[in-house]
Amino acid sequence: MANAEGAPPAAVRLRRSVGAATATATSAGLAFAAIDYLGVVSVMAYAPGATAALAILIGGVLVLLVAGIFSELNGLYPTAAGIRLYVARAVGNRTALSVAFTYMTTVVLVIAADAFLISAAVRHVLHQPAALAYVWIVILLGLALTSNLRGVRLAGWVQTLVTYTVLAGTAVLSLLALFHVGRAFHRPFDLFGKGSFSGVQAVAFALFLYAAFEWVTTTAEEARTPRVITRALFIAPLLIWLVATLFALALAHLVPFSVLHHSAYPQLLLGKAALGTVGELWMLALTVLTALNTFNGGFLVASRFIYAAAREGNLPRQFAQLNLNAVPWLAVATLAGVSAVVAAVVFATGQWLLLVAVGAAMESGIYALGSLSLLILRGRETRERPFRLLAGRPLAAFGVALFTLLFLATGFSDPKNASRFSATPISIIATLTAVSTVYVLIFVPRLQAAAAARAAANRPRRRPRRPAAAVEEQAAEASKPPSVDG
Amino acid sequence: MADWDELAEALADYTVSCNSNERLRKMQRDWSRTLHFVCSDTGVTFSMDVDHGEILSSPEGHIGTPDIVVTTHSETFCDMFWGDLNPVQKYLRGEITVKGSQEDIMRLDAISYVIWPDA
Repeated sequence: MANAEGAPPAAVRLRRSVGAATATATSAGLAFAAIDYLGVVSVMAYAPGATAALAILIGGVLVLLVAGIFSELNGLYPTAAGIRLYVARAVGNRTALSVAFTYMTTVVLVIAADAFLISAAVRHVLHQPAALAYVWIVILLGLALTSNLRGVRLAGWVQTLVTYTVLAGTAVLSLLALFHVGRAFHRPFDLFGKGSFSGVQAVAFALFLYAAFEWVTTTAEEARTPRVITRALFIAPLLIWLVATLFALALAHLVPFSVLHHSAYPQLLLGKAALGTVGELWMLALTVLTALNTFNGGFLVASRFIYAAAREGNLPRQFAQLNLNAVPWLAVATLAGVSAVVAAVVFATGQWLLLVAVGAAMESGIYALGSLSLLILRGRETRERPFRLLAGRPLAAFGVALFTLLFLATGFSDPKNASRFSATPISIIATLTAVSTVYVLIFVPRLQAAAAARAAANRPRRRPRRPAAAVEEQAAEASKPPSVDG
Repeated sequence: MADWDELAEALADYTVSCNSNERLRKMQRDWSRTLHFVCSDTGVTFSMDVDHGEILSSPEGHIGTPDIVVTTHSETFCDMFWGDLNPVQKYLRGEITVKGSQEDIMRLDAISYVIWPDA
């Protein structure tokens, strides 16, 4: 966080701090979840065959713009509050709160999606009946809930190891698949093969593959230096680009799209096509590993956000209640419950690609808001920051326009039929935003009034400071001989 | 602006409140940290040594290598240690700045929340 006087934070050496390698792993780990395998298939729906790699490359270039924008914002406000503080300083607290609540639903969606996808993958490999996926969802989220309530957290080095294992494992299997004999790349530059708008939609979905990489800004307060976060923001997208590109090329190389499009586990199909059962188990192991990052990071980020919102008086105070492991138990339990319901609904309806569309649209919306925040704050904040985006104003203005377009491109996409448009994704986002805005405008003021009344009844505890003169007078009185007046 | 005497008085009350709260001690049983505090208006600095949830000392000046560094106005520190303000509100508005892990920041706030749930 910027210091209380508004000056740049002084360099502080902490006993435990985060370096560039860990921050990069955190960023890449937050972005690369099991849903990313489906994200690649969504890109391929609009950019057929090897053209997906081109869309992922363009998406990666745009993400570097996002990295620059968030690096400057993080330099101005290096705080765990992240996007919420940026938007609050740019356009006001109520809007920021409304955005933050909507944004948090993305975390729930990702947790739910991963619970569903991992359950579906495990069930598939074990050849179990479809209905057992519900059981696996409950088991996975139950494990995540129990470990979170007990205060179990992955050590930084374990998180780093898991992230790099998932990325390297996916890349190596994809490379093996690419060297598989007898096939050639199909249509490598056919970006508008599915209609004049398909290229834009392909890029918009490609952005989703990098989604949440910017959440690393919430660890700014533990970074060794401010530049650590900037490095992570620029390096993590490169890693994701490399892995997603190899995976997309391998899929286009070995697995027919008609098979991919109806599957919730394209990574298993690739594994099987490349290396048989060994490849399938390989990809299953990586899929399960992604859950460690998603459930550890996702639960932690979202439950602490809920805790802070409750402490601030923006959510009912019960959500700030802590158990004896200092864990906000109601927040964690609510997250697990809501995620289980969403995962079960996704399984029952088979609408997993809709989750990708909603997530992709929300992420583009957040990038547009981040760009807008920088555009506004460039005019207000004259302080020095560790990173300043070159041509910041025009690039931020370009970001607002571009990411708004991509928001609309994914918001009106039909995840099951690339040649059609659908208002379902944007309707879901509009509903979530409306609920969150109504909540902020109507219920938050009531909660805050109640909190203020409780606080007023208990204050002040602080003893009034006695003026120095009064202290001296009292001391003089004490040194006088006792009165004889009786 | 609050001087060191006022801060020391507030810290003494805070220490008694923390160390005598059984629930808090149990919750923080695995929390041993060195905290540094910086008054951004007066330049006064002080430290806090916490061992398994117990505040052992809070001397003037910076002692040891910190796990957490908290910076704000001296008056805000006084009000915070007396339980007269909600630190999260100040933190989210950028009026209290913290360097440290998110978990440690939450643990630090948890102390105020457990002692003064209505602050």
